[in-house]
Amino acid sequence: MLKSIKGLVTGAVSTLLLAGVAHADITVYTAGPQSLIDKLAEGFTTETGVKVNVFQATTGKVMARIEAEAANPVVDVLISASWDTATDFAKRGWLVPYASPNAEKVPAFLKTETAVAQGVSALGIAWNTKSGTTKPAEWADLTKSEFKDLVNIPDPAQSGSSFELTAALAGQDDFKLFKDLKENGAVIAGANAEALNPVLQGAKAAVFGAVDYITFGSKAKGESIDVIFPESGTVIAPRPVMILNWSKNQDEAKKFVDYMLSDAGQTLVAKTFLMPARSDIPADRPLIADLKLLSYDAAAVQGKRKETLQQVSDIFGAD
Amino acid sequence: MSAKDIGGVAPAAWLALGGLVVVVAVPFVAIVLQAIFPAIGMGSFAKPFSLLGATLADPRLLRMTGNTVLLGTCVVIASALLAIPLGVARALYRVPFAPVWDVLLLVPFMIPPYIATLGWIMTLQPHGYLEQLFGFNLAPVLFSLFGMTLVMTFNTFPVVYFAVSRTVEAVGARYADVGRVFGATPARAFWRITLPLSAPGLAASLLLVFAAAIEEYGTPAALGRRAGFDVLVTGIDTRVGDWPIDLPGAATLSLLLVALSLAAFLLQRWILTRRSYQTVSGKPQNGDKRPLGYFTLPVLALFGVVAFLSTGVPMLAILSTALSRTISGGLALDNLTLDNFAAVFGNSAGALGALANSLTLGVATALLTGLIGVVSAYVVVKTRMRGRALIDIMTVLPNALPGIVVAVGLILAWNMPGLPFTPYNTGFILLLAYCCILLPQTARYATAAFVQIGDNLEAAARVFGATGAVAFRRILIPLVFPSLASAMLLVFALASRELVASVVVAPVGMQTIATFIWRQFEQGSVGLGMAMAFVTIVLTTLLPLVCLRLLSRKSLIKE
Repeated sequence: MLKSIKGLVTGAVSTLLLAGVAHADITVYTAGPQSLIDKLAEGFTTETGVKVNVFQATTGKVMARIEAEAANPVVDVLISASWDTATDFAKRGWLVPYASPNAEKVPAFLKTETAVAQGVSALGIAWNTKSGTTKPAEWADLTKSEFKDLVNIPDPAQSGSSFELTAALAGQDDFKLFKDLKENGAVIAGANAEALNPVLQGAKAAVFGAVDYITFGSKAKGESIDVIFPESGTVIAPRPVMILNWSKNQDEAKKFVDYMLSDAGQTLVAKTFLMPARSDIPADRPLIADLKLLSYDAAAVQGKRKETLQQVSDIFGAD
Repeated sequence: MSAKDIGGVAPAAWLALGGLVVVVAVPFVAIVLQAIFPAIGMGSFAKPFSLLGATLADPRLLRMTGNTVLLGTCVVIASALLAIPLGVARALYRVPFAPVWDVLLLVPFMIPPYIATLGWIMTLQPHGYLEQLFGFNLAPVLFSLFGMTLVMTFNTFPVVYFAVSRTVEAVGARYADVGRVFGATPARAFWRITLPLSAPGLAASLLLVFAAAIEEYGTPAALGRRAGFDVLVTGIDTRVGDWPIDLPGAATLSLLLVALSLAAFLLQRWILTRRSYQTVSGKPQNGDKRPLGYFTLPVLALFGVVAFLSTGVPMLAILSTALSRTISGGLALDNLTLDNFAAVFGNSAGALGALANSLTLGVATALLTGLIGVVSAYVVVKTRMRGRALIDIMTVLPNALPGIVVAVGLILAWNMPGLPFTPYNTGFILLLAYCCILLPQTARYATAAFVQIGDNLEAAARVFGATGAVAFRRILIPLVFPSLASAMLLVFALASRELVASVVVAPVGMQTIATFIWRQFEQGSVGLGMAMAFVTIVLTTLLPLVCLRLLSRKSLIKE
């Protein structure tokens, strides 16, 4: 028995060691979909021979890791799902200014000196086509009685884009829409995936402000679900790519950004149902030009983040 | 009272201490420093205590703490009510199909709590599997304190069931029989003799349940938030999980959780130190169990209902989801597919690599925590070394540390610049994380087992010329091995599915089972995630059973 234990331990130790040995040429932390970064990394390595090592999690978990690592950071390229992180990191002076030659076709509002969008997602109404309800066209339609108790709202405290939608809409009518939703039995239901799942099974009929690309993905798999972008406007969440100034592989990092914005890279982005950042890359879904965007002062909205979240939790708090 | 300090203790003590310092003290100190010095991540000791006040002054803190204690207490009570009758029946009577029930009640251990919760949601919510089959749903029951308690109890009560059935079996009917001889009724003999003598195992398992309940994230997040029921762990996750990150706040709340768990631990210790629980004295035990008689059917029915609710419902929900082409297709024949399982075995998205990583880590964690746990427990219970209380407390500290905070502590500690070597960004960091989170399991079980072993056994060996090390290896280890083995199997199962710490601390490019499942859920591939979960549960249930089988052949543990 001792011998077999010894064998197990040696096996375990060597596996663990091997996991750490794979030296990557660049390290990418991403809040984007795993399948996308896997394909991007593969394509980049074939093209340049530079290896990419990946850590993927939600924006919050990625940031927690970077924050905890701050004394001895290892990340070269960061892809966040929230533009605030790009603004904040730029303010801290952590970013390398870089204008990729491939970023020319990226609209000006999707790039700064230190960050450029990889792709863009938008929020819409995710609606179960077999739910027996009338197809909603507007945010306010979800306050109608046929949607009584049938609406999920992703938690604005857990999702950056959901917060912006909440703040922008609440700013228009001082939370009246949200009070009506609450009256109609809508509930705040965890992060994006958690809010969508009950709609797929039919426990709920619609998600108020679902991330579009996940929903398009489900639809492509054959789920009876659709995305509706209300005429009155919605918000978009550009996903910024940044190069960190502590990176020892800045040249390779820049090449990675170039690849991501190349025709091949942007096509991969489009395949995940995100809107490509470059306006000249086609995608099988509505693009930014097709959407009406709510106008609001992003800086002011972020400044009142705490108050807004408090008001939301006051409205949707326990009965 | 005991045979002490005859030599041979020192190496054991140093081993225990060394292991505990690396596994527990290092990340714990990092967390304490983070709570005090907000900028410690940047390597700066600036502005100590500057954020502590704001965190503690949060008006929601009191409610979250209260909810945490309430939930933990409810789960402990419910687990005790469910597990003690079953455990006692299993230990003292000949329950038909006993091994089958043991396996069925083992499975809930192996179901990751977040998966079980999702299974329950998909079963009970409107248009869920229950409604698709029988036309009604139980959503209002599910999204409440009651529902949360129920789901968490079905997940954790096996800890108590196995502890009670093992310890009551060890106490045996012999002591109760003595009571009967002196005229006690069967009920009186049970309440006054058998149950009190089984207290160490029972108390240890209830403590683990309490700690697991206050540290559990998935269920309160999925069920509690909608019922407006915030607990400390969800508060911690909000601080770590959303921009702007508040690591000092998360660290402070974690210390509060640790304090709660420590209080429960001290209570348990106080109960146990008031009297002696030594029942394993070297005298031969009468292993005969009694027939159930008239109670056979009711007891079987009870086992059946509990096994169905704790194992059947979640497993069926997981399987139905894994076999569905689309979720919206529901339970329909034309919606049936094996694609998800084919994807897992076809290594889609690195499924097989994730499986191999997690199973390896699970085995390594079980071996390491087993070693450190048994040595620490020995030093604490069987020696009078100075500082042994410190060792005892170190083995219980991680009990209530949420996984995410252990992860942050490990990064802070092991990613400091200038370390000559570091496990960070290798698989070893996950091993450290799992050992830290799970060490209390082996340490608690081993301690409870040592408490029940009479000192005269070790003394007898020493009298016959055995060194301390030989007595430890030849006498004590075989006696505690049954408890230790079940604890190590539990650690294996828990480690191979750990989610929260893994998500943050996993080395770049390395997937585990749980991070794989979680990514599938995030991307809307619920079916693929559930298929992976099903494969994992089957594997983590079968592997330990095969191990036990092999060990019992070599008569290391007797069934």
